[in-house]
Amino acid sequence: MSAFVSTLLRYRVAVILCLTLAAATLIVPGFASLTTLSLGLDRGSTIGLIAIGLTVLLIAGQIDLSVGSVFAVSGIVGIMLQPALGMGWAALAGVLAGTAAGVVNGFLVVALRINSLVATLATMLVFRSVAHWMTASQPIPGNDIMFSITLSEIYLEVFTVRSGLFLVSILALHVWLTRTVAGRNLFAVGSNALSAEASGISAGRIMFLSFVFASTLAGVAGVLQSLVTNTGSPVYGSELTVAVIAAVVVGGTRLEGGRGSALGTLGGVLTIAALTTAMEFQSVPAYMQQVASGLILILLVVLDRTVRTGRRKPAAAPAHA
Amino acid sequence: MPSAASALHMRGIGKVFPGVKALSGVDLAVRFGTVHAIVGENGAGKSTLMKILSGAYAPTTGTIEVAGTEVRMKRPADAQKLGIRMVHQELNLVPDLTVAENIFLGRMPKRLGFFDRGGMVRRAAAILAELGAAIDPQQRLGDLSISQQQLVEIAKAYAAEPRIIVLDEPTSSLSEHETVALFRILRKMRDAGIAIIYISHRLKEVLDIADEVTVLRDGAMIETRPASGITAAEMIRLMVGREVSNVFPKTPSTIGREVLRVRGIGDGERFHAISFDVRAGEILGLTGLVGAGRTEVARAIFGLAPLTSGTVEIDGAPVTIGSPAAAARAGIAYVPEDRKGDGIMPAMTVRENISLPVLRRLANRFGRVRRGAERELAGTYVRKFSIVPPDGERRIGLLSGGNQQKAVISRWLATDPKVLILDEPTRGVDVGAKAEIHGIIGQLVANGMAVVMISSELPEIMGVCDRVVVMRDGRASVPLAREGLTEERIMALATGEESAEGEAA
Amino acid sequence: MTDIAAMGQTTKDAARFSQGSRMVGMLSRAGLTLAILAVILYGSLANPVFFTAGNFVNVLMSMSIVGIVVVGMTFVLVVGGMADLSVPATIACGAILSLALQSYIGPVPAFAVAVLLAGLTGLVNGVLVGYVGINPIIATLGMGTIVLGIVQAAVGGVIVYGTDPSSADFVKSRILGVPMIAVIFIAIAILGNFVLSRTFWGRWTIATGGNYSAAQASAVPVRAVRAGAFVITGFAAGFSGGLLGLTLQSARPLVGQGYEFSAITAVVVGGVSIMGGFGSIPRAMAGLVFVQLLTNVMVLQGVRTPIQGFVLGLLIAGAVALDIALRKRGVA
Repeated sequence: MSAFVSTLLRYRVAVILCLTLAAATLIVPGFASLTTLSLGLDRGSTIGLIAIGLTVLLIAGQIDLSVGSVFAVSGIVGIMLQPALGMGWAALAGVLAGTAAGVVNGFLVVALRINSLVATLATMLVFRSVAHWMTASQPIPGNDIMFSITLSEIYLEVFTVRSGLFLVSILALHVWLTRTVAGRNLFAVGSNALSAEASGISAGRIMFLSFVFASTLAGVAGVLQSLVTNTGSPVYGSELTVAVIAAVVVGGTRLEGGRGSALGTLGGVLTIAALTTAMEFQSVPAYMQQVASGLILILLVVLDRTVRTGRRKPAAAPAHA
Repeated sequence: MPSAASALHMRGIGKVFPGVKALSGVDLAVRFGTVHAIVGENGAGKSTLMKILSGAYAPTTGTIEVAGTEVRMKRPADAQKLGIRMVHQELNLVPDLTVAENIFLGRMPKRLGFFDRGGMVRRAAAILAELGAAIDPQQRLGDLSISQQQLVEIAKAYAAEPRIIVLDEPTSSLSEHETVALFRILRKMRDAGIAIIYISHRLKEVLDIADEVTVLRDGAMIETRPASGITAAEMIRLMVGREVSNVFPKTPSTIGREVLRVRGIGDGERFHAISFDVRAGEILGLTGLVGAGRTEVARAIFGLAPLTSGTVEIDGAPVTIGSPAAAARAGIAYVPEDRKGDGIMPAMTVRENISLPVLRRLANRFGRVRRGAERELAGTYVRKFSIVPPDGERRIGLLSGGNQQKAVISRWLATDPKVLILDEPTRGVDVGAKAEIHGIIGQLVANGMAVVMISSELPEIMGVCDRVVVMRDGRASVPLAREGLTEERIMALATGEESAEGEAA
Repeated sequence: MTDIAAMGQTTKDAARFSQGSRMVGMLSRAGLTLAILAVILYGSLANPVFFTAGNFVNVLMSMSIVGIVVVGMTFVLVVGGMADLSVPATIACGAILSLALQSYIGPVPAFAVAVLLAGLTGLVNGVLVGYVGINPIIATLGMGTIVLGIVQAAVGGVIVYGTDPSSADFVKSRILGVPMIAVIFIAIAILGNFVLSRTFWGRWTIATGGNYSAAQASAVPVRAVRAGAFVITGFAAGFSGGLLGLTLQSARPLVGQGYEFSAITAVVVGGVSIMGGFGSIPRAMAGLVFVQLLTNVMVLQGVRTPIQGFVLGLLIAGAVALDIALRKRGVA
């Protein structure tokens, strides 16, 4: 394999992002503008915030399918408690609802040793049911429609509160993952929990905290979404899980654990955001957008797999979850 | 030199698991600045004893003193705090981190709150240099070979500046060169006052490095003696409890026509231009240092890995082997090196394990597996090879290593192969079972099978093989005749001190 | 590599199966039977409608659609493929296409084409997972979104209606009082059980899920076996989707939503291990029966849907935790 191709493959996330942006600019008139950028960033931040949490969790070797449901519940709590606690405290309560969900997930996986796929499948159902129960399956309006406009305000021509928060957080994550001992320990736990444990790293604690972190961020995203739309709805977030996993995987983090990067996730989120924004501009129907996201996901993973088997001796067993 | 103070004194250690008494009344005294070896058959209690020492288990009875003070350890972290470090046989490393990160796993240095990568890499490089290991500390651990990873494991224990270091079969993946280097390090550590506990099946190595030897048998300590006052034969006697005169008996057989011939095979990566032939009734030994490519050759012949050049012939006719199924059809059988990983199906019964490759043959028109025929097949081998317990319906995971190995061999015999490739058939198997397995192999060749035996144990190779191929760095010598072959000669070829040019068998 | 990744690498839990599992197996089977009896008892006492033929027929009918998917999903779990999340898409494919094509090529060919395309999806899944080696969650999730999008695009994104009353009648007919759908389901379950527990393919499936590299080294065509499980599920989901469509005589794109989770729930509650290498169709069926009866009791008692979801979620968690606890006891 020539050096050029291998460099291309090493930086494939950036390459795919650039290709997507290039294609979008060419195909969609008016795509390359600051408004598009800020819109896309803001949109992508919802997925992005959750993706931050999921990146940490995936590196630790776990998965969380319940993030979409937590998203809904947190938003509902944030809106429902507004009359009682006022906007600020209600929002905090919403985030804490997310944290509580994370504690439940962590308990099931770490204390009861239930497989994280099955456990979060269960909690996904449970939390979604809680959302329906709390709202009697109706969306709930919030108090302050003016606040949602403030939240959507654009700073520096490009950033909203949400996208700013996302960008700051993901950069913080990058630093944490690459420059702190705790970050390295996270990779260790995801790569081989037994070995990490034998070297004195508390794998259980790290995994538990990862679940709490992921759900808390889903809670933050959910509360922000509800504040921006001034609505708490039990159906929010049902398609989010797939999009978030796609963004994280496109960004190079793998479900096997031990591998991942915040910058990769950033690239993945931006790619998905660019794609969805472009397709919306072209009035591409929702189901075609799904096809496109699905295709990108599969293509990327196949590419990644062929790169890895090309570089090293083919593994005897294929990539399990 | 530091005084020979007591580093460790385990008194009257007993360990009971539900239904099993693993250890009873074991005494072990190790002094600082000595190398103390522990030998015993599989199941004698060595690993249980070491798990107690490392803090993973608590003893049911007995006390432990470290440097004269009684201690009670509840978890491995307690043992580590006391300066006890283990180097396990199964690597305790993290494949996705770098070598340096692995060496300092759990103790990574910080600088201003952040992780001090530069300092860590420097220290790791220093330690690796001390150990004579040419490994780049920034490389991803999973990309290294097994023997390199084992060296990193040793570096990891050493970097923690231990007072007591326990090594469990440390040379199992090391070449002779690396073993010599390791012993040099161990002696250095010993002279610096560290107490070293050395567990191994390789009795010659034990006699080489140890100051004292303890023999365990059936969970009890049989005897402790200075290494100078014991021989390998005596160790075996104490381990087994009976005289084992010839561990590697040579059954006479008549050697017939050529069954397998490989010409110039290579996989483009790990081995090149390998040629040899195996005849009916013959045992061809395939040996060399770890990493020389022996298993790779076997796996390629068996279809588990692709060949990029050369031909394979069975009974004179060339065959293309694209998969293990194709290999089985051609009459090639392979018993893998890693019994737990590639060998047994632990959740299945002995019967199901044995019948696995021939299920299609045992099935009727609709694909249904004929239970009666299956049971008969398994029963035949259970009886023939004295697999214990003689119950085909028992889960194979419950059997001892030796019996599992017999079952795996049976599995392949059921395919009626012409050539049987055995990869380290007696590794991790106790002395008694070793003899049994060699007996089985002897029977097979007496009945005309061609056998290729891959082994790292030179006495085994010297004892049973008719001809020997020595591999080094992906290349092979021509088959060497048994007469006049010495272990030294094999070693010279394996390490490259002698080059294998133009020697015919 | 931890937990969900433990399926693959270093933490190969051979110890889990090595001791005493016979006792554990019996215990867990007994436990489930008792649970089913308990639900029946409770249901009969709580509601006079429960223990009636009419009610049981209803339960049987809803069980049948999920049940066909469960048969396929069992193969996926046993082979170590974790889960097939493309089921909503393949069910939709079966439902939508079998109705939409009716007026063009007739009901029976329409059904066949729909199932075939679903099976094709399963084949692509199988190739991605078995041969290319992609993580099954990602592969099936991705394929699911792609296929669902394609199916919707093919019919222009609208709800599809059936145009052939005779096929609807066939599907709703009864044999000796048993609904046709249930008969079909039982037949498929029996076939599935035969394949998994008695044939060499089933043994290969169990071996591949139990220890992939050992199976490969034993001349088992592991990649084909892994792929095969997804092909089976694709066909099964397509088949059940087609039946669903014919029963409802209408199909919207989200018609298959939730079926994958119901199927996984049933299989997991029945004691089939998500790690692979262990399980059987009867077990999955027991799990299915339990879940369906429980849901039925809840519906009859007027329990609201959210609470039902809550209970189901608790059930999954509880079943798996129990399974793990029992196994641990068998191992220690």
